[in-house]
Amino acid sequence: MTPHGRATRRTVLRLAATATTAATVAACSHQPLPTQVAVVWSSDELQRFREVLDGYDRQVQVISAGDDIDAFLRARHLAGTSPDVAILPRPGLVTEYAQRGWLTELDDALATRFPVNLGDLLRVQGRLYGVWVKAAHKSLLWHLPSLVPQPLRTWDELVSRTHELAAEANGAERPAPLSIGAADGWVLTDWFENVLAAVTREEDGTYEALARGWADWQSKPVRDALDLLAGLWSIDGAFPGGGRRALLTQHEESVIQVVARRRAAMVFGADFVDAVAERFGRGREQLEWSRFPTVRGGAGPLVVGGDAAVVLGGSARGADLVRWLTGERSFQPWLDAGGYLSPNLTVPPDRYQDTLRGQLAAEIRSAGVLRFDLSDRLPGVFTGSDGMGIWRIMQDFFADVTHGRVPGAVDRATRQLALAARQAAGRP
Amino acid sequence: MTDVRVLGEIAVLDDVGPPRRGRAYPAAGATSALLLPAALLLGGLLVWPVLRTLHASLTTPTEGFVGLTHFRTALGAPDAPAVVGRTLIWALLVPTLVTALGYLLAAASRRSTEGGLVRLILVVPIALPLVVTGVTFRLMYDPDPARGVATLLATRLLGRTADEAPQFLGPGLVTVSLMSAFVWAWVGLAVLVFRSALDALPPSLTDAVRAYGGNRRDVLWDAQWRPLLLRTVAVVFALVALGTARTFDLILIMAPGSVRDEASVLAVHVWQTSAGSTSGPAAALGVVWLAAVAVGMLVAALFVRQAWPPPRGPDPAVAAEQPAAPRWLTRLVAALAAIAWLVPLGVLIATSLHTPEDAAVRGWWAAAARPDAYQKLVRSDELQRALVFTLLLATVVTLAVLIVALLAAYPLAWLTGPTAQVTGVLLMGAAIVPVQVIAGPVNEVLGAVLSAGTARGLALVHIALGVPFAVLVLRNAFADLPAEQVRRARVSGRRWWSMVWWLARHNVRAVVAVAVLEFVQVWNDLVVGLLFSGPDAAPLGLFLYGQTRHFVANSGALAASSVIASLLPLLLVVLARRQLVAGLVSGRTR
Repeated sequence: MTPHGRATRRTVLRLAATATTAATVAACSHQPLPTQVAVVWSSDELQRFREVLDGYDRQVQVISAGDDIDAFLRARHLAGTSPDVAILPRPGLVTEYAQRGWLTELDDALATRFPVNLGDLLRVQGRLYGVWVKAAHKSLLWHLPSLVPQPLRTWDELVSRTHELAAEANGAERPAPLSIGAADGWVLTDWFENVLAAVTREEDGTYEALARGWADWQSKPVRDALDLLAGLWSIDGAFPGGGRRALLTQHEESVIQVVARRRAAMVFGADFVDAVAERFGRGREQLEWSRFPTVRGGAGPLVVGGDAAVVLGGSARGADLVRWLTGERSFQPWLDAGGYLSPNLTVPPDRYQDTLRGQLAAEIRSAGVLRFDLSDRLPGVFTGSDGMGIWRIMQDFFADVTHGRVPGAVDRATRQLALAARQAAGRP
Repeated sequence: MTDVRVLGEIAVLDDVGPPRRGRAYPAAGATSALLLPAALLLGGLLVWPVLRTLHASLTTPTEGFVGLTHFRTALGAPDAPAVVGRTLIWALLVPTLVTALGYLLAAASRRSTEGGLVRLILVVPIALPLVVTGVTFRLMYDPDPARGVATLLATRLLGRTADEAPQFLGPGLVTVSLMSAFVWAWVGLAVLVFRSALDALPPSLTDAVRAYGGNRRDVLWDAQWRPLLLRTVAVVFALVALGTARTFDLILIMAPGSVRDEASVLAVHVWQTSAGSTSGPAAALGVVWLAAVAVGMLVAALFVRQAWPPPRGPDPAVAAEQPAAPRWLTRLVAALAAIAWLVPLGVLIATSLHTPEDAAVRGWWAAAARPDAYQKLVRSDELQRALVFTLLLATVVTLAVLIVALLAAYPLAWLTGPTAQVTGVLLMGAAIVPVQVIAGPVNEVLGAVLSAGTARGLALVHIALGVPFAVLVLRNAFADLPAEQVRRARVSGRRWWSMVWWLARHNVRAVVAVAVLEFVQVWNDLVVGLLFSGPDAAPLGLFLYGQTRHFVANSGALAASSVIASLLPLLLVVLARRQLVAGLVSGRTR
């Protein structure tokens, strides 16, 4: 090899090395790492959230972790690559992660932006670990005005109207009173939670105690709620196609049964029913809504659900983003697009383009007692999923009462609930 | 080898002989290192997780060894006996049905003009992702007679009203419905295997039985069953029985949440109770399941220990004197089966050709066909991302599996005798470990190599799961090459890598079979994606599964994406179906 050749090779190597180093340095200095946010949302909701983040002054990478964000975060934690921020669908996860030491404590002043008892759900030993970013109103009864002309204010009205419609429908090709997506366990737990919230007064604290695993699931309020549900659900002809058919109906299909097929007059559900109704009910009779009925003169229940943002692994970037998300104007793009209900008290109801959500936001602000979705707060598998936990127990109960096994159904259900609660708490 | 003089000529005495050629070409030293990649993958992602599961089933983190406590807890749970029983029924009843139907249809479609078409139709469902099969059958079995064609027909036939319609997805019939979907998907495989077995039977045997005055039954017994069919039946039965672990995908897609318990089998139960982590009772159930699978496999191995299929003689020139085509009744049965097998495909395609709004509200027969769902999907980023990602994943995994398996098969092919048999059984065992059982420990391992919840981790798991079967097939194929050919290649002074390349080129069928199977398996996967994928990984199976959360509301879009997802695997399997069967049976099971 000639000296010339050798020099050339060395030069090339040196050049290559310099280029690599330069590229690495450039990558580090000019492009700060984007803040990573893991969310449960997908498709439309994900798109809206991206639009929200366009207003944030730093770069954010949104990761859609899908339904099982818990498994995703556990795997990421094992791998040491946790995102900066996660938006969790259940407050139970917030407390669980906080107890494991995965979360960063947040500025307590942020809690003042939310209704007090919602903020408290994100505390562990008095310390705040999360903020609410999205809410769902879960106490609505939707109906076709031609079949239910007056909103049903009380449970008794609901039961008697159900009897009437069922009698009219009997044999004839008329709509049944109620459509229910009993194939999705959460629909049944939402029913149960509303009735339970309606029969318990806040001073008793039963609802809260059940959520925290202190109260007995075989106590009177639980039995009362189940008794009321059994009375309604066991009405002959209450559901189109009967109870067996209802157990194979998913929630969105139950809305379709009302708005597109006119097979039922009413459907109980959260505020997001309106999106399904609009998509499938085009050109047909519009649904109207009223609040879930009151029971025995009590106040109408108001049950909400929501998604909470947390900061993982002490990330300063994450803390900055979470603080920004609680801002009064941050979610304005989503408010303009519609379909978004804010848990944030600093967002005035008149900021909503979407009139339904504006009214619901006003209700949440003025509500005397605000209850958070009970099943979302239960520990471990008790919280429910297909074939498991409280979902399964409520589906068994539904099958019992709609298949004519009303006597003893409440006993069986409360026994199973108590057992599941004990197992979830690790007691034999 | 020894050189001796026989009658003044040098003669080469092959005192080693083909069965012992391993001794002639020891796989010592450097070649053993070729096993390293496969050993690392299998050790880290299969063997260690299995051992860890065993350990977890006998201990708790706090108390140490607890004996059989976890087993008692797991099997004492109220729903455990039903789940175990249902799993057993699946593993016995379904293979029986598939084997019987497979034989009948293979025999009925032989030698008739339309037989090829019949077999082609029966093969199509094998290629489809099981997720798509689930979507198809859930569309047919929709409990509303206004949408579900099976429910509509049953209602009409039984003369019932819409409200009294039989509920195929209800608690009473859900397992039957799931089984029908599974049989639909798997019969084609049985038909292919039986056909190649029947073709391998020398027709002279039939003639001989007839010449001795045997009737049809004697022909079946002496000329078909005893020489070959017994073992073929054992192979098909074992294959399908092990395949029933795949019902996981079907149950997740087809069973509505309220009947998931009534449909549940061990695969689903273990997944639900362990939730992807390592816990005692779930591990105990997993161990019970592993033991059952191992016993089943050993029994099957005993049955098929003999050469299968038997070494073929020179192709008999029988085209001219083939026995007559089957009787018209048999042909009619075959044709009817083909038509029945087309119905679900027709339902899927018809549903996909409606607007999602129409598909959710009325049946496909009641609305005009429109390509709206496809138009929407073409614009959807999510489907495109899933398709591109899955294509990349399947390609990378297939290449990696081929390389690792070729390297490992090379030294293993020279083993003989009991060592070879043990290796075969171990590889077979590794190929059928249910991934749900080891999900927790695998995630721990992936966490340790910094790839839990990433596309890299997902690819690693796919590779580890694909390697054992690939090695098995390639090893058998390599070991089957005529010894003289191999010798000639060896003495030409090749290095090991050119030797591996030479072997691969001389076993194109096996290599193609392995590549196509691996690609299709990854493309069609749901469970691995469900257990191990992260946000940067968007496999197709998971995309489809995500849409089934609102099945009726999404049915139009779901049907269209199912059709799109099926095109590539369908094309591959139909084009390569000859190589698939030939490649898979090219090696003798040892």
